[in-house]
Order: sequence, then structure tokens, then C-alpha cells
Amino acid sequence: MILNPAVAIVDKEENGHSVKMTKPVTTTQAKKPEESEISEQLSLLAELGRDFATSLDIDTTLERAIDRISTYVDAEGGALFLLHNENSLLRCEACVGATDITGIELASDHGIVGRCVQLNTGEIVKDVSTDENFDGSVDSQTGYTTKSILCAPLSVNEEKIGAIELINKRGDSGLFDESDLHLLEVLSSSAALAIKNARMAADLVEQEKMRRELELAAEIQRNLLPTTPDSSSPIFGVNVPARTVSGDFFDFFELEDGRIAFCLGDVSGKGMNAALLMAKTASLYRCLGKTSDRPGKLMAHINAEICETSTRGMFVTLVGGIYDPKTKLVRLANAGHEPPLHQLANNKFRQIEAEAPPVGITTLAVPEDGYVEVEVSLEDGPLYIFTDGVTEGKLADGSMFELAGVEKLLTENIDQPLSFRLNSVVNEINRGDGPLHDDITILGLDAVAAGEAILEFEFAAQASELKITRDRLRPWLRNTGVSDAAVKDVVLAVDEACQNIIRHAYGGDSDEKINLKISRQADKLLIYLKDFAAPVDIETIKPRDLKDVKPGGLGIHFISEIMDEVEYLKPDEGIGNLVKMAKIVG
Amino acid sequence: MDHSVTEINGVSIVTLNGDVDLESSPVAREVLLAAANKTAVLVDLAGVDYIDSSGIASLVETLQATKSNGRGFGLVQVSETALRVLELARLDKVFAIYPSVEDGIAGET
Repeated sequence: MILNPAVAIVDKEENGHSVKMTKPVTTTQAKKPEESEISEQLSLLAELGRDFATSLDIDTTLERAIDRISTYVDAEGGALFLLHNENSLLRCEACVGATDITGIELASDHGIVGRCVQLNTGEIVKDVSTDENFDGSVDSQTGYTTKSILCAPLSVNEEKIGAIELINKRGDSGLFDESDLHLLEVLSSSAALAIKNARMAADLVEQEKMRRELELAAEIQRNLLPTTPDSSSPIFGVNVPARTVSGDFFDFFELEDGRIAFCLGDVSGKGMNAALLMAKTASLYRCLGKTSDRPGKLMAHINAEICETSTRGMFVTLVGGIYDPKTKLVRLANAGHEPPLHQLANNKFRQIEAEAPPVGITTLAVPEDGYVEVEVSLEDGPLYIFTDGVTEGKLADGSMFELAGVEKLLTENIDQPLSFRLNSVVNEINRGDGPLHDDITILGLDAVAAGEAILEFEFAAQASELKITRDRLRPWLRNTGVSDAAVKDVVLAVDEACQNIIRHAYGGDSDEKINLKISRQADKLLIYLKDFAAPVDIETIKPRDLKDVKPGGLGIHFISEIMDEVEYLKPDEGIGNLVKMAKIVG
Repeated sequence: MDHSVTEINGVSIVTLNGDVDLESSPVAREVLLAAANKTAVLVDLAGVDYIDSSGIASLVETLQATKSNGRGFGLVQVSETALRVLELARLDKVFAIYPSVEDGIAGET
């Protein structure tokens, strides 16, 4: 929340606290201000407060403030100092009068102003020549003679911000008095609050600006990834950044002869520098890759380019390759990346080790003819390439996923489409229950055309089975790429349909079964729920009017609201009931 | 699902946690109606991971019970999941929904 300084100042006037005033000024010391003076002071305060609240440029506002204060107190000159460098330094931010000292810096305990800041006390130095802390160096440079100084700290609740210093009262005596000090203290305590608020507001604006810029960078990065192919594609990839921007990337694109070029990389480090190098490497690969026949050679070119221009100490681990759908052969080269995983028959896996150091370190270790290429036949099984964000990802119980965990999950889901398998790996780590430790990226290649994702199981028609059913449905839906919001809706609709079977078809908990079959093809989810009870009269199944607030009868309404199609059918077997539901998911 | 009931300033705060479904909603219904027979009722839904039509029905029944007794009834800290289901049921405007228990007590007493 940003306090409005104008309001804060009024509060201060009403409550008389929240701003430190270390030197109480009694009426015997200061002459009592006239009513007209008080109203003048108040309007000056309000004006200053408004200025700070509405201005986006603190420097100009500070200048106007010191000008107004000097004029009001009738000083020849004035300067406003703020603390910097963890309060070790005082810098003059604005000044008025004969000598321009804007920008000068002094130790935060130096001179009269330093003393004022350190002791957090306002004071009048009637004759500076007798003050041990007075620094006459500015006077000797400028020829100006400082006679008297009035100084008040800028602080909010013990937090020191700086000080305001006024020099030489106009008029015959040239001396400030207690009433001037009293006035300056009131003005500076209000100014301190306003400066603090303005700084907080500026910080918030800056943070918001940074956040937006980061979002834009993330959008550009997302656009560097290939568009999601349809389910018949032999290649599929998933990237989930741990922060807004990612240091991981993958890409694939079709060459003129129908072969598919692909790459996957991981830039060292995190944050914006990694994101920029990621963008550069991915762009180079896509641009040069369209005319290159040899991934190893292409990667050598990219290595030379990045070595020449990259920031010292940053590198990219990279796998590049070309897949020929006619021969089912993949040729790939590996520059220091996690070994790609080739799934063979009998649930065995083969790791394809890196033959060379990462891209961006040296050109010396790379053979003239390019990185070594190896050939992998997808006839033997699918190929997976991923970053260490996958293997080092944390599971729900806090343990590491590890290669063994990845292999186990890929084996379990071998009959599911490629995209489902990759999502199942990613969703094991990206559960939405906490921040990710690293970007997660996985790319898969499979010669076997993807069928549809299917989940089918039976359970007893009992209320206690419903939670288990929901828990089984959710991860499956997520793995087919259904959004989290749609997952919740679909789970609710299926649950409601099961409840209707338990309550209306079976007449309560039963040992008889419910059969659930759900499949996803392209953007359509198809759900079949079958029971083995006596046929239910379809005419009796109708949603009720929601305007009438009463318990019950909401289930049918939820189903029709969530699903795009609902049909009550007769099972082929001639016994029981069959509900078919369909939903289009993005 | 688990639940707890506390009384603050003559208002029963019924906290439901976990899944309020066909299996657990009879318990929720019983607890809610018992509270509605004694005091104004606030139902804290912050910890509700899942709620179905039977859970919503228990809330509607409690609303009606408190109304007929001239007592207050409100939902507090409604989880995103529960709010979605209330919206589907077009009940998000029917129930008094409060961001906190304190607001709920102030609103229903």
C-alpha cells in the first residue's frame, strides 16, 4: 500500500506522532506563532505533500521543496542532503542560494549537517566560526561567508534519511532563532515522510516495470519454442521454466526433404543472461539448421560463433540431430549434455554418452569435421532427450526423480501416446505445489504413430470409491495436456455421474461395478460410464431450475454445464445403463 | 474430510478440510445442522480441496435452517475450488461470502 503523503501529513498534524522530534521546543524558547502563520505553514505543508505525492521525479520535487522552505524561513540559501551507500555518505540532492553545491558528497558524520544526522537532532549554530564541526572549505572556494546555520534531520520513526540545512537568515542580524528551528523541524519531518513515501512508490513502479519486461522476455522465449504438433507427430517437446524466463530450450522443424531437424539445450546459470544466450543459441540453430545436413558440423559452427562472442564462463550443453521418418533413423551429436535415453525392447534403456565438451567453451576440443555423430534407430524404440531439471527434479516426498524414476515412468506409460509420456514425466515434478528448482525440458521422438490416450478401469459402486477414482483421473487428465481448471471440472462431472449411478441406478452403495473409460483424441475428451443395474428411465433425468434455492438436484446441472455433450445410451450387452459424455479441451 | 467446530462471540465456526463428497457430506450435513440449531454459523472452506453437489446441498440446507431460525449464515475463506463449484451452482451470489472469520462474525451478528 502506498501512503498518500498529503494524507500522512494531515494525520501528523492531527495526531502529533509518527515523526521523531528530538528537541522539544517550548513556548518560552520560541515565540508562539500567530494564527495566520499557522495557516500559512499548514498550506505550505500540504503543498509540499501534494508535490511529493504527484511527482514522478523526486529530484525536481526536492529542489522545489528546498526552495519553498528557504523562502519561507527567509534564509539566503539552503541544501537538502540524503543518505546513500548504506548510510555512510551524505549527498546534496538539491540546493538554493548563492552557491550551488548539488552533487557534493561528504561522510555521513562530517560537518554540522553530519552531526545533525547522526544525533538525529535539529540545531541552530548561531556563529559557525566557533563550531568545531564547521567545514569552511566550500566558503573558501566560493568566497561566500557562512555566518549562521539552521539544520534539521530528515527521519521517519528512527530511520535516518538525511537533513535540511539553511544558511544565513536574511536581514540585519543574519541569525536564526528558535522559532525558525521549530518551523524547520516541522517542515523537515513532513518532508522526510513524503520522501520515504515517494521512494517506496518509485521502488514499486520500478519493480512493476521489471516484472513487465520479464514477462515480455518470457513471451518472446515461448515464441521461440515450436508450436505444439498434432498427435500424429513423431516428435514432441515440453518446456516448463522454473522462473519467468528459461535457460533451457528445444526446437524442431521440417527440412525440405521431409526429414526433421531438432535440438535441445541447457544454458549454464539461470536468469536473464542465461535466457539471452538461450535465445541466441536457439536462433542460430534454427537459422543454420535449415540448410545443414550434418548436425555435428552445424553444432561446431554454433560453437565457434558462441566462443567468439559469448560472455566468459557461460556455456550451453546441446544435443542436435536429424530424424528421417522414412528410414526411422536419427543422427545426433551431443555437446556435453545429459546422455539421451534410448528405450529398447524389454524395458531396457541405453544412454548415449556425450563425446565432446559443451558449446561455448573452446574450439580446440572439437574435431575439424564437427562433433561426432551417432546413429539411433527408432525401430528399436523411442528416444528421449532432457535437461538435468528432469532427473534432478524433486518428487512429492522430497526425493530426487533420478534417471531410474524417469525410466520407470516411461516404461509404465509405454502404451500411451508420446505427448502423454512426456507430460507424465514433467507433471511428476511440476505438480503445482511449490516452486521448481530448475527449468524442465524434455523432447521425445517415436517412430510408432501415436494412438489415442485411453484410461479404463472398474470400481465398486460405492461412495467410498469416489475419492480413489478422482485421484486416478486427475493425473491422467493432466498428462493428456488438459488445463488444471478443466481437470477440476471434468473430475467433478465424472464424480457427479458416478453418484447418480450409485444413488439412482443401484439405489445406494452396491458391490456391483461401474466401468469408466476415458480417452482423448485431438482436442476431444470422450468419457463412457457403464453400470450393470436395471435400466433407468431416461425421461426422469432432467436438471432442475436453479432459481429455486434448494438442496439436491445439482449434479445433473453440473454435468450439463461442464460437458459439451451428454448422451444416455443402452449398452450393447443389453443390460445396465451407459452415459457418454464429451468435452472439447484446448 | 475432517472437520472442527469452534465458537467465537456466539458464532459457530465450522471448518471443513479435504474432500466434501458423497461419502463425507452426511457428516458435514449433521455437523452444520447441529450448529445451525444453536447459533449463527460460519463455514470455513479454506481447506476444502474438493466439494460436489452433495456438499453444496448440505450448505444450502444449513442456510435454510439458519434463515428459518433468524440466525446468520456465511461462508468464509472460500477456496478457489469451492468457489468454482458455487459458481456452477449459481449460488455464489446467494451465500454471504467473507474473506476472513473476523469479517464473517462482523457480518453475521
